[in-house]
Amino acid sequence: MASKKRERLEVIKDILNTIRQNREIKPTRLLYASNLSPQMFKEYINELIAKGFIKLEISDNEKKTFSLTKKGSDFLQEYKVIESFIENFGL
Amino acid sequence: MDLYSVVTENKWLLEALYTLIITSICMIIVLKTDRFFKLSLHNGIRYFRNAFLFFGIGFLVRYILGLFSDFSITNADIIKVIFEYFMIMAGFFLFYSLVWKKFASKNEYSSMFNSKITLFNIMAIVLALLDEVWNTYNFMFFSQIIIFSYTSVISLINYLKKSEKFKFLKFYFIGMLLVFAAWILNFLAASFFHWHPLILINIGIINVIFFFLFLYGVIKVTQK
Repeated sequence: MASKKRERLEVIKDILNTIRQNREIKPTRLLYASNLSPQMFKEYINELIAKGFIKLEISDNEKKTFSLTKKGSDFLQEYKVIESFIENFGL
Repeated sequence: MDLYSVVTENKWLLEALYTLIITSICMIIVLKTDRFFKLSLHNGIRYFRNAFLFFGIGFLVRYILGLFSDFSITNADIIKVIFEYFMIMAGFFLFYSLVWKKFASKNEYSSMFNSKITLFNIMAIVLALLDEVWNTYNFMFFSQIIIFSYTSVISLINYLKKSEKFKFLKFYFIGMLLVFAAWILNFLAASFFHWHPLILINIGIINVIFFFLFLYGVIKVTQK
């Protein structure tokens, strides 16, 4: 179970990193880069939007793109510390 | 003048200092971990944070209870129930922070009112009330001895599995053993030694070591 949780945090980190590297990214490109099933991808994206880590922007011509919020950027910076804390305290 | 005399003659000053040290440590841990929880929404961090919040409040209420008892103020009973509730819940939260993944359901949005914590709340209230009715502390002592025997075993397993990579797991295990020992000493002091001050001093020292150990761990692990 512990590794499953770590994987989940890692997936979140990977998605956020991909968005940060691209600044803005289309949903289909992010889906391919995330290496997740469409169903799982949707769940993660909904969670990240709900947490305020990423935002979905829709342009005038209906194009959708994801970008990183300040909270998402903060999370990436703190990710290693949080991961270390979780493991060192057996959480 | 020996240490024992110094302690007994300055009881209130030392009690106040003891409470101040432990509640301050708890609040530092709560503030540090709360930031991590808000960023990650990780339930383990959330329950760990709650444990130290409840420890902090518990020790503060304990100090107030001491004032009430020593100055023979009435209504100390309700303070005792509140104190026991917070201490029992702190133990439950720390235990649950280690095992929550095995029992977590998907929709645990609240760390205070989800089904498992509600069960812990009910148990804590019942145990505190039973102690009040029977005029004892034994229900709290036994619940905490059981809880911290479990947490000691879990933290030992964590230590044996991952100690090479994560250094604090060893100190976490030592911390759990210290709390376990403190609760056993509490039980012995209450049941067989009429709250002998020398045993209480040792319990106090063990508690301070435990909280400083965890403060050290939180600061060390979270420094960038």
